Amino acid sequence: MAKYDPIVYKGGKRYFYRFSAHQRVQHVILFSSVLTLALTGFPLRHAEEPWAKPLYDFMGGTELAPLIHRAAGTVLLGLFVYHTIYWLALFIKNDLGGLKQQGRLTFGSGVKAFFTQEMVPNKKDFFDILHVWKYLLYFTNRPPRHDRMSWREKFDYFAPYWGIPILGPAGVLLWWRDEITHFLPGIVLNAAYIMHTDEALLAVLFLFFVHWYNVHYAPEKFPAATVWLTGYLTEDEMIHEHYAQYVKIMIEAGLEDEVKPQHFAGEEYDW
Amino acid sequence: MRFFKRLIFKLYVLFLMAFTIWYGYFMFPLIFGFEGKEAASTSLLELGGAEIETEEERMFAKLIKEQTQTSRTDLGYKLIEQPYIEGRFHHIGFELQEDQASICVRCHGNVPHDESREIRSFLNMHAFYLACETCHVAEDDGTDRQYRWYNKDNGEVVPNPVAFRDIEESYRTESASFYPTYGNYGAKISPGKEQGGAFAFIHGTKEMAFVERFISEQDRLGPEQKSQMKQVIHRKVSSDPIVCKECHNETDQYLPYAELGYPRTRVGELTDTSVVNMILKYKEFYIPSFLSPGTNDEGK
Amino acid sequence: MALTGFPEPAPAGDELNCVLCHKHRGLSRIDENGKFRLFYLNQELFDAGPHRRNKCKDCHSDIDRIPHKPAKKVTCTQQCHIVEPSGNVKFSHQSIADTLATSVHSSLDAEGNPKPHHEDYPGCKDCHDQPLYRPLSVYKGEVKPGITARAISRCKSCHTSGDFAEDFYEHVTSRLHKTRFPMETIEVCAKCHQDPDFRERHELDDVVTTYKQTFHGKLIALGSERTPDCLDCHVVPGENTHLIEAQDQPTSSVNKANLSATCRTSDCHEKAGAMLAGFQTHVTYDRDKYPLQFYMLMFFKALMAVVLYFFLTLIFLELLRRLFPRFAFFKDKEGNTPHHRIRNKKPEA
Repeated sequence: MAKYDPIVYKGGKRYFYRFSAHQRVQHVILFSSVLTLALTGFPLRHAEEPWAKPLYDFMGGTELAPLIHRAAGTVLLGLFVYHTIYWLALFIKNDLGGLKQQGRLTFGSGVKAFFTQEMVPNKKDFFDILHVWKYLLYFTNRPPRHDRMSWREKFDYFAPYWGIPILGPAGVLLWWRDEITHFLPGIVLNAAYIMHTDEALLAVLFLFFVHWYNVHYAPEKFPAATVWLTGYLTEDEMIHEHYAQYVKIMIEAGLEDEVKPQHFAGEEYDW
Repeated sequence: MRFFKRLIFKLYVLFLMAFTIWYGYFMFPLIFGFEGKEAASTSLLELGGAEIETEEERMFAKLIKEQTQTSRTDLGYKLIEQPYIEGRFHHIGFELQEDQASICVRCHGNVPHDESREIRSFLNMHAFYLACETCHVAEDDGTDRQYRWYNKDNGEVVPNPVAFRDIEESYRTESASFYPTYGNYGAKISPGKEQGGAFAFIHGTKEMAFVERFISEQDRLGPEQKSQMKQVIHRKVSSDPIVCKECHNETDQYLPYAELGYPRTRVGELTDTSVVNMILKYKEFYIPSFLSPGTNDEGK
Repeated sequence: MALTGFPEPAPAGDELNCVLCHKHRGLSRIDENGKFRLFYLNQELFDAGPHRRNKCKDCHSDIDRIPHKPAKKVTCTQQCHIVEPSGNVKFSHQSIADTLATSVHSSLDAEGNPKPHHEDYPGCKDCHDQPLYRPLSVYKGEVKPGITARAISRCKSCHTSGDFAEDFYEHVTSRLHKTRFPMETIEVCAKCHQDPDFRERHELDDVVTTYKQTFHGKLIALGSERTPDCLDCHVVPGENTHLIEAQDQPTSSVNKANLSATCRTSDCHEKAGAMLAGFQTHVTYDRDKYPLQFYMLMFFKALMAVVLYFFLTLIFLELLRRLFPRFAFFKDKEGNTPHHRIRNKKPEA
């Protein structure tokens, strides 16, 4: 983490660090394999729709497209395993290791450390969800002040993280149907079929609307957010989405007097 | 400038809100629609709410259901799309083009002849190339009558076919994987006259307007009014038609074949032995009244 | 019959020059039962199938002159003039009719009495229209649809007379793969088996719709010819396709005892375990018949509905919030002052 400055200046503007190159590469692999899977999977799921055959033929037809689908699935499953190890390694090295050095590593403190990880949902998220409804229903004019990861981003993160363990193994069962039926009853394939197709539908419907709203459709993001490429957020984005973290970073950088006030709805950008 | 920016912003937000609602509708069948939804399963046993009892009623309901059915045959090197006609064994190979422009078809259909048992199919065959009023024309002086082809889709005059192939063989393209012209010239012969320097068909837009009006308002018309209006609509046609030999003879033909673009070989066939002989045969073997079908084909 | 002036000679099978009239597309009428009858013959498509070697009269045998009276219905089991080359006997479809009579599709039961609703059971024309060849060109290991001059040239170097080479080449190569595109086979079965009234009369599930939800059905819808259609699983192994038996027959391919052999045939899931047969193909998501699938489906539907409509509502309200940014029932006490300043009770900058 040390190699990234929390704040960089470019053209007189402040940019705030968000994702390391390592994480950005993982995201690129994630979205390219997911899009490939969707493009080779959904024509099959909706084979009777008029758009299905042209799209499937474009993606390689009935002979090649299944192979592409399985290859992309393998990449995605590999990424899932890699990401889990990556996270565990960081957690053990930085958090548990730190505790051990201080001689405070017990089961209790380890669990506590886990719940302070930035992606793990916590009490603040619960109150932020309540707050955002209060805000959206016009009961307050102040939006919630998110920390480094808002509850929506956590949900965005855990959507694939729960999806892949359902989709992946089901896909593997369907792929190796001939081999596994030596050990497992055929009805497992019926179950795998439902798991695979319905979870895929949920994932894609969520991706195309909720995630793409967050990073593409939203007025301040349109046509696309840039953080997945640059790894840095603008000051406006920072104030808008992560105000609590923004204040923290500014104070840590000794820029307390330059902290800008929180955006209230409608004031955030110079529209 | 700031105002426009705000306006664009608000419009974009409104658009996104509409998109959100659309997405909600879009998702609904995907989420809640059972995949096992009964595809194409509207039961035949309902006909406008009424129970189906007889075979004919069953047929009627079936026809309504089948009206747009096509069958596809994929030979790998060629795809054949054709209308589905129940019980038909031989292939058709193309869509049967319906006459959208004729006012008669609106009520009488594309297959209007059904009374004279021995020749009704022949008469319907002619109706594929000829407008009703070509044969069922009312008596007038007939002197300056002219004939043109009209487009079956929009009723406009189309130029004469330049080759025999245009009329009857156009679907036979050497290596095409489908039949681009569906095997017909897409036009019918119809009589008309020179009016104010321009050609006009006997059945023009005015007649079409009459018929449209009659069809849309017939529920509100009394029985006498209906009869009167039918009289007006049918004023230019006659139930006493031109008969076979008036065209199919060697000397003097009712239709000016050459003028309509028929090549000499085809005119030869139509007026020469193969067709004329058959008509004579028909006369001899089947029905003596064959050459004047109008006499037993009355009352339409 | 005088043929002078014809642009093309009448085909050889057409001794009586039937196409003189039957080439016209409008030759049609509405019959006594209100059915549309079209008497047009597409010569090109007639010539594209095995029946091209027959004369019109071979099947329409009651017609002996033109013009003619309404013809009788064709009987497919009558002998035609074609000689079947392996046995040197006149050809007939009688053996197919005999097979059909022993199958589940026979209208008579084992004792020879008509089954209930026996009129629903199929005859030849209920499943077959004029058969068409689907030839394949095989040249240097490359297989593609159609017939190329190079591919047939090896036959024609010896078999030069007539259409012998074409007839046999097209016949054999058509038989080397599916003679109908699988989707067309499925539609043939669907004519009855998807009809709700028919299914109600015979107490049958909607097997066509449920089949179309399987990977088999979906791949076929996307153009695969390597995936099984109805016949591949339901025909008694090794028999001709007309022998389909009911599930309770001991020789039926879908009898519980034979099912795993049917799936694991050397042409399909050869390496699969015997338990593959436990896969349920025609799943109706009926709560009592398929509880596992039903409850799984319900679970996923509920999950999807909750997650997606929650976020949809959230985003819609957020957009609405942007339209009236300054309005709120209660103003926040802290205002937009950075919260650390409130906490530290620092004066405003």
